Amino acid sequence: MRRLTLTLLAVWGVAAHAGTDSSVDAETGLTTWQTETAGIQVRLTQISPDQARAFYQARGFSPGAAERYADECVFMTVVRNIGDTPIEHRLSSWRYESAGQPPRALRSKTEWERIWKQRGVTESARIAFTWAQFPTAQTFAPGDWNQGMTSFSVPRGGQFDLRFVWRAGGKTHAGKLEQVKCADENS
Amino acid sequence: MKIREFAAGAALAAYCAFGVAAATQAADLPPLSHSLTKLTPQPAPALRLKDLDGAVHDLARLKGRVVLINFWATWCPPCRREMPSMERLSQALKSEAFSVLAVDVGEDADTIDAFNGQLDTAPTFPILLDTRSRTMQAWNVAGLPTTFLVDRQGRIVASAIGGREFDHPELIRAIRELLNR
Repeated sequence: MRRLTLTLLAVWGVAAHAGTDSSVDAETGLTTWQTETAGIQVRLTQISPDQARAFYQARGFSPGAAERYADECVFMTVVRNIGDTPIEHRLSSWRYESAGQPPRALRSKTEWERIWKQRGVTESARIAFTWAQFPTAQTFAPGDWNQGMTSFSVPRGGQFDLRFVWRAGGKTHAGKLEQVKCADENS
Repeated sequence: MKIREFAAGAALAAYCAFGVAAATQAADLPPLSHSLTKLTPQPAPALRLKDLDGAVHDLARLKGRVVLINFWATWCPPCRREMPSMERLSQALKSEAFSVLAVDVGEDADTIDAFNGQLDTAPTFPILLDTRSRTMQAWNVAGLPTTFLVDRQGRIVASAIGGREFDHPELIRAIRELLNR
């Protein structure tokens, strides 16, 4: 663990801070942040609390359990290999940082599974949840991409920077999405 | 670099019509790829599942055919987007020793039927039910959609992670190469 932390700190120090672009969907009002650096494209699109509630209630979550997830700051996340070398992605290496807070890791699927079991969420609903989240670890060949939800413990309307880490060509790389903002309750 | 500004109105309408999938609608949809990643041939894991009508399909019985196996779910946006192109691919190669199997994870037949009802052309290939996601795990699928190409000998020879335009000429060419071996 210590070794991983030191590695991440070292990588972050030389992270290629390519620019973060953002755009607002005219129909939904939701914002997308995207960056491309060193053969990877990472994109986060806001998911509103209402959308999160609706999605999981339709998958069998109770209103209370769905509300627990909607309390988080939720994004549709896309990672795409736009280079010519396979990318090894591992979500546990990602860190987000909001003002006045130390860098934090995303809550793992295992932790969520424990929360849902405690709340009595059915197995079929838990399966849907698991597959709807962004994969924990995956290798993307050139042209491969994936899409799934990520969640961050940041208040509504709060802002954070996301540092994403991946391996390619035997080296660890890092990039950053800056000033990503959580959807408001009324988004 | 600017994010492309194309409004996916029709797709958005379709998602909203289906309700919950609107939650996964991006401001602009990531483009579908058409690449396949060639793999060192390895025997495919077992795949024996029921379809929407309860009929059992066994991959082992398809030896001698090239089989495209797609793992998906109705709530997965790229899965939904690539489904029509998979049907077009299936139609384009229907006279050849080629099969498509779409394996849905964690959903029931009613949910899938509702989704199929929204498509201009409902899939004619079998949709199989992996209700407890055990087959997906046996195939080491990490995310949806994931697609495998199995050769006539029952070996996985290529994969694709993320949405694809399955009837893209390059993809059809790759499948024909396998058919001609």
